[in-house]
Amino acid sequence: MSEKKRRWTITRRGFLIGAGSGAGLLALGVGLGLPRARLSIADRLDGATAPGGLEATPDLWFELGETGKLRLYLPKVEMGQGIHTALAQIAAAELGVTLDDLEILQATSRVGPQDSSGTQGSASVITSYEPIRQAAAALRETLRSAASEQWGQPLDQIVQEGASFFAKGDTATRLSFGELAAGQREWTVPDEVTLRPTAELTLIGQSVPRIDIPSKVNGAAVYGYDARMDGMRYGASAHKPSFEAEFVRLRNESAVAAMAGVEAVVVEGEAGFVGVVATTRRAAWQARDALDIEWREGKRWSQREIEELVTVGGRGGVAIQREGHAEAMFGQGTISAEYRTPLAAHMPMEPQAALADATGDGVRVWVSTQMQARTADAVASALGREVGEIEIIPTYLGGGFGRKGISEVAIEAARLSEAVGVPVHVGWTREEETQNGYFRPPTHHQFRAVLEKGRVTAIEHQQASGDVLFAYFPAPLRFLFGVDFGAWRGGRIAYEVANRHVVAWRRKLPVPTGPWRGLGLLANTFALESFFDELAYVAGTDPLSFRLAHLNSDAAHVVRLRAALDAVRALSSWDAPPAAGRARGVACSFDAGTAVALVVEASLDGETPIVHHVWAVMDCGQLINPDTATAQVEGNVIWGLSSALLEQATLAEGRITNANFADYPILPPARAPEITVQLINPTDAPPGGVGEPAIGPVPAALANALFRLDGKRRRDLPLV
Amino acid sequence: MKLTINNRPFETDAPPDTPLLWLLRDELGLIGTRFGCGVGLCGACTVHLDGVAARSCITPLSTVEGKAVTTIEGLAEGYEGLHPVQQAFIDQQVPQCGYCMSGQIMAIAGLLAEEGAVDEATLAEKVTNLCRCGAYVRIRRAALQAAAEVNS
Repeated sequence: MSEKKRRWTITRRGFLIGAGSGAGLLALGVGLGLPRARLSIADRLDGATAPGGLEATPDLWFELGETGKLRLYLPKVEMGQGIHTALAQIAAAELGVTLDDLEILQATSRVGPQDSSGTQGSASVITSYEPIRQAAAALRETLRSAASEQWGQPLDQIVQEGASFFAKGDTATRLSFGELAAGQREWTVPDEVTLRPTAELTLIGQSVPRIDIPSKVNGAAVYGYDARMDGMRYGASAHKPSFEAEFVRLRNESAVAAMAGVEAVVVEGEAGFVGVVATTRRAAWQARDALDIEWREGKRWSQREIEELVTVGGRGGVAIQREGHAEAMFGQGTISAEYRTPLAAHMPMEPQAALADATGDGVRVWVSTQMQARTADAVASALGREVGEIEIIPTYLGGGFGRKGISEVAIEAARLSEAVGVPVHVGWTREEETQNGYFRPPTHHQFRAVLEKGRVTAIEHQQASGDVLFAYFPAPLRFLFGVDFGAWRGGRIAYEVANRHVVAWRRKLPVPTGPWRGLGLLANTFALESFFDELAYVAGTDPLSFRLAHLNSDAAHVVRLRAALDAVRALSSWDAPPAAGRARGVACSFDAGTAVALVVEASLDGETPIVHHVWAVMDCGQLINPDTATAQVEGNVIWGLSSALLEQATLAEGRITNANFADYPILPPARAPEITVQLINPTDAPPGGVGEPAIGPVPAALANALFRLDGKRRRDLPLV
Repeated sequence: MKLTINNRPFETDAPPDTPLLWLLRDELGLIGTRFGCGVGLCGACTVHLDGVAARSCITPLSTVEGKAVTTIEGLAEGYEGLHPVQQAFIDQQVPQCGYCMSGQIMAIAGLLAEEGAVDEATLAEKVTNLCRCGAYVRIRRAALQAAAEVNS
């Protein structure tokens, strides 16, 4: 739009969505007292995700040139979840234009809508849906007023058709969005805009082809690893040999500096940083491997020591769900079981990678990151610069899965570029990626329940986990809450049991742990849905019917979960016996506003589980792109099976020992089952999460199927 | 050393033990061949050597001399538009993050060129490329679609 005379006079009323939750929660805490406040926060956060806080100001989202092509800047990053297409569909629908009228651009930490929460938690559509529509509607109505002024016609006489307007009764005279933008005028954005009625949003709910796919089949897509600049060099840096090691000194700086292809050795002792810059990637890696560094070793933790730390009990348990008096009911006849899940790695296909160009004017970093704002802060702090000097430009991500929330590699590339004065690309090896990341924390779960006449009358889930999101909580909230909602995601019990009690323990670990696809959802759902299956077995009831029998109320999420279970019962022919030698297991979850029910059919080849077919039903509320949602369910099923069957990061001498695919295998294509997905699309539920929820029930559904094959309860992941 | 890459001659003085992957990416700018594991396990770096799929991260330049190297950028040469496997990957909306997809497509195209007709069992045995997003069901579907088209 016209730079000179632009006047975006938006009142923020009605445009600011979901901001300031921290303050709101704290105010709540003061009034209610600590334990009740915690429960109240848990109620709010259950199945929910962090609020977005995206502004709806249209000139942040849109840029309109004379060509008429409307540029849409998206703050969310594309990591395979199809978010660019989904958000473009929402914008185009509200604008009343086609997807071809839009040009989709990735917002950076400086350009476009600013997004403090990043791309995570299956929250992108949930938190962007309203702001995008508000911004799109504001832009549309701004352009309508411009047409109205130009023609001297009242607003209600201006009719929109695609990306142009005409005055009622005069279809021959038209002004396109582009032509309107070319005119010099003062732009006035309306204070309040009316969103289109849902019936007009026909692009929403269509399986339009993903806009990023063509570049992903011809090799043109640019990931962090592929970012290039003229004059660029390759960098690499040393990493700690064990989690608690501290840098002391570099012993052979001049020898490494003299290696072929090496242009610089960069030592920043206080930051514990040693890196090299070379003319080729290979030379950089070789020089890095040749660095002879003295480290001060800390404690070198073993696998067993870490697992023992993650055990329920002692002081500090925090109730995250409490109704009735479960504790008082346990005694003789109480059914109990314990479950464990291990440390797990993300293994995105693309290891960490970034290109940094540090100059006197500022620092630009192209990086595969889910968190451009946080990465900008981290780079600014590492370089001692103002955050305003840093621009983080997210590329496509070769997989995120929570691993690219903290992009250490951006800091490394920026340090090296600043030191040598030319652009530097740093790409990690697979081993660096695995050994220097953070991990899904180990978890421990203890359950107790009382069954009376085939019904659960009391249930308790005690859960211990390493940290997931705790490091990112603002300090007062951390103090107030005392436990990490990322860790207990999926741990609360949706089944209607009069006496329910869930307690979470935070276990601080010497191993870095953090967000991993679905956070605590996979571990907690594995434990809860395995245990509920055990109860069904003791009750002598069909496990799917048993679940339905404990989902009676007309609470919205209960109704939706029940519908998903009913649908998967039909889809999987649950009531017909499977082929000889096979068995089926069921599990379900409600997470991020989305209900999932899932049936796995498996057999055993000796001790090895063979998964034949998975039927999944997902109700994610209002659907934006059904085919993309289906693909996310398929991907979550594979991810869940991989975790259930194969994955465990092993630790010795204070470091991860299985760092590449040879000893940290992920599910290979030959073990992928047939997957049948059905989506339920109610019209009254708002958009829910899609990228993670289906992950939750997968391991339990498989474990429950295996139990029916050999009568053995598998209570630890991986299942074999 | 003289190489032929996507039907064009190329000369390099890189050390002969340099993995082909790094020459393609960092000297020629053919970024579509991706780095995933560096030890030939994931398949993200798959290219064709004389039409046969090979993992370029463990292929030293010395073994490539005299062979025709084809990367994802050159796969469609000689076809109208895209190679049938690429088209099938669009039709089936296969890629998610997309990082492994060049390798998946090259592996399947190589297999089809070698064997012509392939069925699910052959695919499961011969295409071992990893996909962390879990697009396996669609990869299989697209491979079978392309196989049917190549043979029709």
